[in-house]
Amino acid sequence: MDELSRSLAWFRPELALVIGLLLVVIAEAFGGASRRLALRLLTAGSLAAALTFALELQAGGIKAALFSGMLVIDPLSVAFKLILIAAGLVTVLAFSFRNSRELHGLGQGELFALVLALTLSCLLLAAANDILMLYLALEMVSITSYVMVAYLKGDRMSNEASLKYVLFGAASTGSMLYGFSLLYGLAGTTSLPAIQDYLAGGIPDANRFAVYAVTILVLAGFGFKIAAVPFHFWCPDVYQGAPTPVTALLSVLPKAAGLAIALRFFYGALSAPEAGTWDLAGSINWKALLMLVSVMTMTLGNVAALTQTNMKRLLAYSSIAHAGYLLMGIVALSENGARALLVYLAGYLVMNLGAFLVVTLVHLHDGSFDLRDYPGLYRRAPLLTLAMAFFLLSLVGIPPFVGFLAKLYVFAAVIEQGMGIYATIGALNAAVAAYYYFKILKVMTIDPGNEDKPALQLAFPDRAWLAALALANLVPLLFWERIEAWARGALVLYAGR
Amino acid sequence: MIGLSHYLVLSAALFALGVLGLLTRKNAVQVLMSIELMLNAANVNLVAFSRYAAGNLGGQVFAVFVIVVAASEVAVALAIVLTLYRLRRTPNLDDADILKG
Repeated sequence: MDELSRSLAWFRPELALVIGLLLVVIAEAFGGASRRLALRLLTAGSLAAALTFALELQAGGIKAALFSGMLVIDPLSVAFKLILIAAGLVTVLAFSFRNSRELHGLGQGELFALVLALTLSCLLLAAANDILMLYLALEMVSITSYVMVAYLKGDRMSNEASLKYVLFGAASTGSMLYGFSLLYGLAGTTSLPAIQDYLAGGIPDANRFAVYAVTILVLAGFGFKIAAVPFHFWCPDVYQGAPTPVTALLSVLPKAAGLAIALRFFYGALSAPEAGTWDLAGSINWKALLMLVSVMTMTLGNVAALTQTNMKRLLAYSSIAHAGYLLMGIVALSENGARALLVYLAGYLVMNLGAFLVVTLVHLHDGSFDLRDYPGLYRRAPLLTLAMAFFLLSLVGIPPFVGFLAKLYVFAAVIEQGMGIYATIGALNAAVAAYYYFKILKVMTIDPGNEDKPALQLAFPDRAWLAALALANLVPLLFWERIEAWARGALVLYAGR
Repeated sequence: MIGLSHYLVLSAALFALGVLGLLTRKNAVQVLMSIELMLNAANVNLVAFSRYAAGNLGGQVFAVFVIVVAASEVAVALAIVLTLYRLRRTPNLDDADILKG
């Protein structure tokens, strides 16, 4: 009882979301004329409350195992929680039913409830410390995402995207589960720290082969969540078919949570902590495997993005490429790698959500996701084009935008570990990526066309959010010491024994 | 005497059959059934390991959770298959081809 009440006190961000979720469902059922406003306020309010509680937890710097070791709370999981809740909050506030042409006129309560459920499940995934909890949280993330993707009920694209998502998702989590069942058989426990003890204690060669097989199977589940090659096939179709606000949410939340749990699994279960660095536990060399996945992910993502003309599809391949860079932080297997991952994710949040906001607004006014309809936007919507330039330059990784520093951190982290070739491949990929990001910019500013179309009349909130997200790509550099200190302070991975 | 290895062979066979069905079947419902085989292969493993190797009930508890999650996942998946069937009049996955590139 004592442990339960103690756990609940540190579980407040999640509790805030659960209460918000229930209230949203009730408000949807019984709300009167002012229902729409109430739903938005409830959703944003519970996310803001969760953010406040998470900030409180961060200030406390607590390290503890919750609910009999199912979940763990440590500065690293709280840092991921902050990123996840912030992404949910920005999506709810910046993308609305008003500025999305696809969602216009559809029921709001269900979507807001699903957004809260997705954020909640991502928080659970980021803090899972037991393979049972890991599996449950991962499936909760998946199932809520399936429903959100199929939100446009009469739309064939939306449903087809969701079907592909379900089938790929169920197959990869099925493989992951089979891997977990073998891991349970080998280690005799479902707890991640106990698995680490088992592996660190030295295992016979026959079992080492089994653990390699387990690693590959488990990687299928994580790879699916972060859209890493070869588990990425769903990603372009789902991003294209889903309503754009949902796409924006899916491009950040499950990816961040997937990386958080991959970090915890690979650092906290398959490696042994040493002073300042980690050793490969039981000589399972997962680094080479993950490096291969990362290189394939960034290369395929960037090369496939070159020829895309649908903006959502293009951003899907771009997000696959970014998953490759993000994985570099895990492959580095060092504190600097984990810090690079956090910094990159925070930067990726503002640049990617910004790019999706621009795509949503152009679709709202012109009804098109096609890059070939983008010429002349420079004249018709100067602010929107300027903001898009910020987002794209940040995505390329040009100084002085946050994307540059994010790339600097991950490349520095792998070079530090003596993986210079790996960093070179990453840099080459960034150069390839520059082509398609600059192509969008060129189409918007230089290409002729759409001379007769009127200027875009952006509503005030849209303009404000564009400006805010654009500045968020630039301003953090002014107080970089504080962000650096935040990321450094977050580097405590507590095993929760 | 039936021991751990028998269960492991059974589960490996189930998993392989599931993957085979996943890769070869064209009907969305049949693919879902194949995925169900993969999940149940894991369940057999979990329960067998719990009984013969681990010496604790963790695996059996895990299996119960897997059954629940699999049921809810299939409920969502079938709902999506059904809406797509209403729109296209076919459960065939090869016809779900408007998204590509």
